[in-house]
Amino acid sequence: MKLSTLITSSVLALAAAPALAQDKTINIAGFGASSGVVGIFGQNSGAAMAAAVEKINAEGGVTLADGSKAMIVTEYYDDRCNAEEGISVLRRIASTDALVAVGPTCSNVAEPLFGILQAKVDDAGDTGLQFPVFTDVAIKGGLAGISEWVFRNTPSEATMYDNLFAWIRETNPDAKTIYGGVEEDFAHSRFTWYSVMKTAAEAHGFEVVGEAQWLLNDTNFSNQARGMRRAEPDVVAISAHPFTTCGMLREMARQRVEPKVLVGLTSSSSLETLTGCANEAEGIIIPTSFAPVNDAAQEAADAVAAKGGALDLHSASAWENIMILRDVIEAAGVEGTAASLEEDRRKIRDGLAALTEVNGLLGANKRMPDGEAVKPYVFVDAENGKWEVLHNPGS
Amino acid sequence: MDYFFFIDLIQSTVDGLLFGTTYALIGIGFTLIFGVMRKLNLAYGAAALAGTYIGLVIYLMFDAHPALVFLASAIGSGAIGLIVYLCCFRFTPSDYPMASLLASVGMLLFIDEVVIHASHGLPYPYPSVFRDAIIEVGDVWVRGDLLFVFFMCVVAMAVLFWLLYRTPLGLATRAVSQQPRAAQLCGIDVTRVNMMTFGIAGILGGVAGAMTAAAVGVLSPVIAMGLTVKGLIVVVIGGLGSIPGAIIGGLLVGAAENIFLLLRGVTERDIYVMLLLFIFLTLRPGGLFGNAQTRD
Repeated sequence: MKLSTLITSSVLALAAAPALAQDKTINIAGFGASSGVVGIFGQNSGAAMAAAVEKINAEGGVTLADGSKAMIVTEYYDDRCNAEEGISVLRRIASTDALVAVGPTCSNVAEPLFGILQAKVDDAGDTGLQFPVFTDVAIKGGLAGISEWVFRNTPSEATMYDNLFAWIRETNPDAKTIYGGVEEDFAHSRFTWYSVMKTAAEAHGFEVVGEAQWLLNDTNFSNQARGMRRAEPDVVAISAHPFTTCGMLREMARQRVEPKVLVGLTSSSSLETLTGCANEAEGIIIPTSFAPVNDAAQEAADAVAAKGGALDLHSASAWENIMILRDVIEAAGVEGTAASLEEDRRKIRDGLAALTEVNGLLGANKRMPDGEAVKPYVFVDAENGKWEVLHNPGS
Repeated sequence: MDYFFFIDLIQSTVDGLLFGTTYALIGIGFTLIFGVMRKLNLAYGAAALAGTYIGLVIYLMFDAHPALVFLASAIGSGAIGLIVYLCCFRFTPSDYPMASLLASVGMLLFIDEVVIHASHGLPYPYPSVFRDAIIEVGDVWVRGDLLFVFFMCVVAMAVLFWLLYRTPLGLATRAVSQQPRAAQLCGIDVTRVNMMTFGIAGILGGVAGAMTAAAVGVLSPVIAMGLTVKGLIVVVIGGLGSIPGAIIGGLLVGAAENIFLLLRGVTERDIYVMLLLFIFLTLRPGGLFGNAQTRD
């Protein structure tokens, strides 16, 4: 080989080296309900993940163990809020080069899905799937305890509602009674009323004077609202998703049920409720782990809006998850090669398990030993067709 | 029986009967198509919902008057009914009933998905009239909007009866329903009658969808499954092919649903409604007004 040829080849190789590094990719999969009646949750999460990935890649990507940079790629898989499809989707994701999955949307998917993962790491007798899952939306409490491969960045509803009812007690000292309304056939709604709201309300001295139940597909709420009207509660708490929340609120307005305080489910602090029944929802108070209250949160909201989504307490977690995973990938020394796939997944699991505090959009998020998170939150209420921050317990 | 329970019972029955008229309309749609073609159109509820969304689009885009929105919903649903006929019934072999049945199942899922994708599954406000009007009869409240729903459904049924029993189209429809071959021999265009039946049934479905959404004040894709299931229960109870049966069945299901809700709670309500369906299927498979009359 002539010297000139050797020099030319070397120069070309050196020039190509960064380009090759730039071609490296780290795959983070997203999954959840992006179709069906709760599809908006998955669509928002997908948009939030895509926006966060775009931001990271624009800043140069993630640094791998060998010092090279890799771009993050992401793809969102639809489980239609169906447990069987969720399990199938996760198995499919695990068969790709994805290092970690962010999802799912629905608690009724999360619970059985976490059950197929290895419960305890390094348990040779447990042949469950060894794949890290970092949940953004499915909010039913305590699910991370099912497997040590599960981590969640969902807010603690128990903490939020406990503080909300303490605040209501403080700001409305004459309010004594509460009436609950619950969408009986949806895991999250049910759990939140019976195990979270009701407990918190009683703990702060509210007397539960009645409960009304309805189903997700119901279109007639007159019986339920009549019970409420008769009980004349000071506080009404509605643990339901936007469609039936709107139906119930309309019926309450019709039957002139006028509580001093109206409390809603975390998942209803979204665009859906305002789209469906802004007038009837006026004044409803909901604790949420996201509101565009600072520059970073506003910037994230704008970036997600540019991707066609909306940032709410659920999709904000998807954004945060990508940012947290970027830090974990860099800190854990992920190699990002086909040969290191299993090892890299384990590094991400261990990296997530080792976290005690991370930066979130509203401030520091505490990471708990059981894989759950404790996140900052605010109380919002619907005012003139918009969610406005009513109280910030952290301020 | 204490006073409040008695009032609740009356109130539940009244609400159920008024709301039951929407079930009756859906039941009539199912039964009308079955009566003429002897085939079940399982996409009927979904088509009714899709038509209701057409009215919603008019409302959101032009802030249209509720009357116009209801009309657009009915006409839209009628048009979708025609599409369903052309896609699932017109060209499927008539000697394989399963072909059109399964095609209509596919169409149900297809329409449902299209609606969900187009609306992102979001609930949207749907206009209602007399929303805050209440007629108080002692301790029993009669909802103004439900009375309007009841009135609209009764008008729709009256128009249907006029069409069926006072017009040449109705005569042709009844002739096709009773003896399709004889009707054809008499020069009646069976395909045209079938198409008209789907169109008219679609319009009734659109009225039912619009009235359901108007009663709730919100339109969401979740309504579709309820319309389909309730419509089928109504026709089984009333008797497949019987229009009076569909009316009585609709009112019965509406009232039963509310009374079971009061007596047994929401988690058991549907069990009893399904039990009612099971009892009819077992003890009176022809329904209340079904007849064993066969045709060629």
